[in-house]
Amino acid sequence: MNQSENNFESLRRLLALKRHEIPPPGYFDDFPSQVLSRIRAGEADVPGAIADRLFAEAPWLLNFFRVFEAKPAFVGAFACTLCLLLLFGIVYAGRPEATPKTALLAAMTQSAVPLADATAPVLTPSPGQTGLMISTNPVLSLEPVALPFGQQNPLAQPVSVSFPIPSN
Amino acid sequence: MAEPAARRDLESRAPADEEALVRRVRRGDLEAYDELVRRYQERIYATIYHMTSNHEDANDLAQESFIKAFQALKTFKGGSSFYTWLYRIAVNKTINFLKQRKNRIHMSLNDLDFNAEHDPDLVAFVSDKTPRREAGLAELQEKLNAAMLKLSEPHRLVVVLHDVQGLSHDEIAKIMDCNIGTVRSRLFYARQQLQGYLSDYLKPT
Repeated sequence: MNQSENNFESLRRLLALKRHEIPPPGYFDDFPSQVLSRIRAGEADVPGAIADRLFAEAPWLLNFFRVFEAKPAFVGAFACTLCLLLLFGIVYAGRPEATPKTALLAAMTQSAVPLADATAPVLTPSPGQTGLMISTNPVLSLEPVALPFGQQNPLAQPVSVSFPIPSN
Repeated sequence: MAEPAARRDLESRAPADEEALVRRVRRGDLEAYDELVRRYQERIYATIYHMTSNHEDANDLAQESFIKAFQALKTFKGGSSFYTWLYRIAVNKTINFLKQRKNRIHMSLNDLDFNAEHDPDLVAFVSDKTPRREAGLAELQEKLNAAMLKLSEPHRLVVVLHDVQGLSHDEIAKIMDCNIGTVRSRLFYARQQLQGYLSDYLKPT
């Protein structure tokens, strides 16, 4: 390294010129007061302060983002990985899980029908009843509610409520 | 600007009262922070200025660095000296700024001090013996800054910290969060690059 130091001696002497570059006279007299006045003015909450603090706390995160800035290919590779993960998720979610879902649906159907029979009043008007009968039809069909990616929600159950209105 | 020799072994020469000042600042004592700013303002400003070659940018970034350090002081664990930690903040801020600015470079150079004209080393560069003897110090300053700006940020930073600021390889490694070997290789490469850019102005050794 000493040999290389000697090789660059001329350059180092030229670089000494940089040390003679000085800011305007009195600049450093005012500098601390400017910093403190900005602190007092509450610049702590400027946008980006949180990100700056995060980067100061976790320099590896900054280096991670710098890789993207320096090499756009990394951005493409990262985006492709994310897309593949998303596709995998969609495909995996669409796969039929026959046994557990069928059993659950069967259990749900058996329990739902008697419940509906017990709670839903008979809508046939009695001979003494006049007036309107208002019945809200089931909003949902008896089919389980479909979710995105072909899934079905076994927990969603159809609701049917009827209110008999007595005649005057 | 202080002499490089005076900047060596900053960690060991850190005043004993620095920790006390930091503790006072953590309790919200702005007078103590005023003292810390006065203590390090020239070095922080100079580093940023030599990285950007722009006084206005260096002024903004230096102020923001001190403000950010004040805000983040509660998270300062004392693993390194306050000075090294402050330097790291300033360097990261400057590199982020330069990356955002990319090629929109605008130099706004400070004037040379009176001593530059009497520095024998520098006078030799503008004497009759140089290949470009018509070059004055101001032109040399502009060419030197332009050449510096051609370097990548990490290479420029190593040159600034070592050859201009006079920091040791060890201190630079701590500031840049890399090992000493990386610092040395970057310094070698950066000097090679600069030598190529400034070959017309360098005297043959």
